[in-house]
Amino acid sequence: MTQQVLFSVFNGLIIGAFYALMALGLSLILNLSGVINFAHGGFLAIGAYLAYTLIPYLGFWGALAVAPLLTAAIGLLVERLLIRRLYGRDPLYSLLLTFGLAFVLEDGTRYIWGPSSLPFEIPHWLATPLSSDFFFLTGYRLFMMLLVCAAVAILFLVLNRTRLGMRIRAGSGDLEMVSALGVNVRLLRNVNFGLGIYMAGLAGVLAAGMLGLQPTIGSVLIMPSFVAIIVGGLGSLPGTLLGGLLIGVTSGVVTVFFPSASEAVIYVMMGVVLLVRPHGLLGEEGRIQ
Amino acid sequence: MNVLEVEALHAYYGKSHILHGISFHVQEGEIVTLLGRNGAGKTTTLRALMGLMPSREGQVQLFGEVTTGWPADRVAATGVGYVPEGRRIFANLSIEENLKVPFERGGPWTLERIYDLFPSLRARRQSKGRQLSGGEQEMLAIARALMLNPRFLMLDEPSQGLAPLIVQEVFNVIVNMRREGIAVLLVEQNVRAAVTIADRACVLDDGRMVFEGPAEEFARDEARIRALAGASAEKWEADE
Repeated sequence: MTQQVLFSVFNGLIIGAFYALMALGLSLILNLSGVINFAHGGFLAIGAYLAYTLIPYLGFWGALAVAPLLTAAIGLLVERLLIRRLYGRDPLYSLLLTFGLAFVLEDGTRYIWGPSSLPFEIPHWLATPLSSDFFFLTGYRLFMMLLVCAAVAILFLVLNRTRLGMRIRAGSGDLEMVSALGVNVRLLRNVNFGLGIYMAGLAGVLAAGMLGLQPTIGSVLIMPSFVAIIVGGLGSLPGTLLGGLLIGVTSGVVTVFFPSASEAVIYVMMGVVLLVRPHGLLGEEGRIQ
Repeated sequence: MNVLEVEALHAYYGKSHILHGISFHVQEGEIVTLLGRNGAGKTTTLRALMGLMPSREGQVQLFGEVTTGWPADRVAATGVGYVPEGRRIFANLSIEENLKVPFERGGPWTLERIYDLFPSLRARRQSKGRQLSGGEQEMLAIARALMLNPRFLMLDEPSQGLAPLIVQEVFNVIVNMRREGIAVLLVEQNVRAAVTIADRACVLDDGRMVFEGPAEEFARDEARIRALAGASAEKWEADE
């Protein structure tokens, strides 16, 4: 029993780390550009499939390094050509655009790589369990956790220690003022979008190693990621991180006792949080817009 | 040389016509104060000059370059510092982080020099913007604009909501800017204080320029000051 609970907590943490990685990217884009990026899951899938295509040439590690960058490059292009045109308009427009884009990306992967699941090879030594008592602790899962932690740590360092990060955080509160201080906010939003998409791509490569490849790989992760943002509190990136891990672990633990509720529970959790703390766990009340 | 030259500037908020073809200029090394009642169009004028008003007509020249229609960041990057109404400090950033947001034009103003000018900001450099008093916020807003190394500074009601002693401090800083060779355009409700430090005064009424001349001349015109400042002029006298 203890082992089973440990297993599900650990599983929950891993799933939660995915949610957090996705949700952080979504949050970055939402905070600075006011765009709810429904296509985020599509970008995750692109990252995963690009890695699949690159592995024969670059190996797993090379693909892990390059695929998220390529995904981010596609993100930069999409922002520049499509999403940018809708800034400052009714949010409904960008919602419709990204919603449509999500379908285009998902069907695009289906068109290029085929509709059925594909095997995704990870280095053999990473795939074996570390001990027979804790069969679920494969090296890959540990490695994934470490990599997600490192990615999140680097993201927070960038946001808190670099001028770029300060401008992103400042612009999330008052973008017009940032532009009045001489900062090119068109470029800032572009780079910020690319940063968010980079994390989606990274999540995609990691997810593929665990879940295998199918075109819907992104769309199953996107709704919980939105829930993570709301639970953690709109506008707060640490909140988003916390929200992701929390709903991952919750749904993991519920799986042990009441498997059929494992998906529903995160929405129940969101409802409870919204009732008790309408601005989310770490959301800032009365944030300056 | 004229730092700023405005010709027949019109500005609109949606369908309402706010500025009706105003013209004025700011020369190098001078403080010009832009006065007028509430709703006369002072803030709109600064926003239009800054490139923050989407629909406008007429011509704006900064440092001899036509900047009409430029986005705000391009205007600012020519060397225009902007201290907006209500300060608009980034509440979730620390003082020091606030100072690192502006574009780095390069020039004499460094973090160290800013802290020398505003020692209270150095003492609280790690405090978040939301924790600051009104006076500290105003100082930070000015300091932030200086970090851009501006040649021209526009301030929108820097004395708003501040205690008289702090207002004095803020105005000393503004006079200092002139000594640094930075031209200043100062929008103020506090008419009396503004005309004492300004070289020239411009008065807006209902989106039209109704007076432009030496501040001294304006300062002597008691009737005009009273008409313009109303209750706030009495208050300023009482404070003194």
